[in-house]
Amino acid sequence: MNWLKLISFLSLALLVIPVILLLYEGFGPLRDPLGYGYEVFRAIELTLISSAIAATLSVALFTPLAYYFARNKNSFGETLSDIPASIPHPIIGIAILVIVSPLTPFGRFLLSIGINFFNTFLGLITALTIVSAPIYIKSMQPFFQSMNMAYENYAFGLGASKFRTFVSVVLPNSGRGILSASLISMSRAMSEFGSIAIVAYYVLQQPFYGVNPAPVLIFQYYTYYGLGPAVTASAVMILVSIAMMILLRLVKR
Amino acid sequence: MIEAEVKKKLGNFSLDANVSDEHFICLTGKNGSGKTTLLNLIGGILTLDEGHVTLNSKSITNLPIEQRQVSIITPDSCIPHLDVDRHLVWGAKRKGLNVEHGYITEVKTSLGISFDGKVRKLSLGMRERVALATSLISKPELILVDEALSNIDNHRDFVDAFRNLAAKAKIDVIFTTQYPEDSAQSDHHYRLESGKSTRLF
Repeated sequence: MNWLKLISFLSLALLVIPVILLLYEGFGPLRDPLGYGYEVFRAIELTLISSAIAATLSVALFTPLAYYFARNKNSFGETLSDIPASIPHPIIGIAILVIVSPLTPFGRFLLSIGINFFNTFLGLITALTIVSAPIYIKSMQPFFQSMNMAYENYAFGLGASKFRTFVSVVLPNSGRGILSASLISMSRAMSEFGSIAIVAYYVLQQPFYGVNPAPVLIFQYYTYYGLGPAVTASAVMILVSIAMMILLRLVKR
Repeated sequence: MIEAEVKKKLGNFSLDANVSDEHFICLTGKNGSGKTTLLNLIGGILTLDEGHVTLNSKSITNLPIEQRQVSIITPDSCIPHLDVDRHLVWGAKRKGLNVEHGYITEVKTSLGISFDGKVRKLSLGMRERVALATSLISKPELILVDEALSNIDNHRDFVDAFRNLAAKAKIDVIFTTQYPEDSAQSDHHYRLESGKSTRLF
């Protein structure tokens, strides 16, 4: 008897059984047409697009930071970058709303130039970027650490600055790592609820006017109608997430 | 002319080495004798505990790698995504050098670079040829070659050609090898044993 294997599979079952049960109930006994209606697909569309944009922003804004952490030990900086992932996410939502609060001079200034995070697409993307960026940084760091330093040292010796080496040597050879880390980051953004329930319960801008992000919509269905439509909508969302996981596996191969 | 007096402690290993010579310098020693550590100290990859490094009468002890005019080549050294011709001039472009096409052709011919394609797809020996040629074309004052001459076919002929090109460009070279017989092709020979250097000629 391989006990380690048995324990491993039992613990894996603990993780998987609720998901399988939800899929079974969502598409079986508890199936509710509202759970796969137009509203749900619009919500999933909003979630996919906003999460993809948040992941793209993470790549653009935080790849240099991940590289810096990989090459320079900076425990304080790394702890700071973990904060958004390690505090309750409603706090992130509150913090974002404080930035544009008409109660503060800075908030009044941002509002006066048309920057508003409350129930806007911009607010949704901002919240998703803040909560998923730490995951992106944590995924990119080991990738950069495993990259052969000989490339960089060679480039330095040829007279390239650290920034030039990062742009011209490190980045062009990091495509697969960036794609993989950005998909992990996107998956994290897709599952976000805490901050966006406060910042963007729904988006009040075209082309998503009145659309809720999918996790918020599922919560709303649960509070309005009970389990039925919420279970079916959850099952649909799980299928989307599984597709993301398969894509991630394919990229990592 | 390279003048280095370096001391470095790494865990239980201590390096206490001197190199003071010019032209084509061979550094031999067994695995773990400190050859790579010495080159990394001269190249600026590691910082010294004590000592100094002077290159052509200028102190480079505290300069970052990119300002030392020292090119470091290991068997893995390359810029993988570039094709051969772009790779060869990459360092020269970084330094703003205007390299004549004839010189590039001469280096390619002398070092047997008659192939093309992405550098990451080349064999190890081919990559090393390209890396060494790129360094020569970028005209540093010193090239440090860490075991990157051993994997090249016809390596005796290659070393002769590389040495001639370096001498013509007035570039000093320190190369490491585990084979003492390689020193026959050098102007000077140092041996490292347990972190201590001895000048043999």
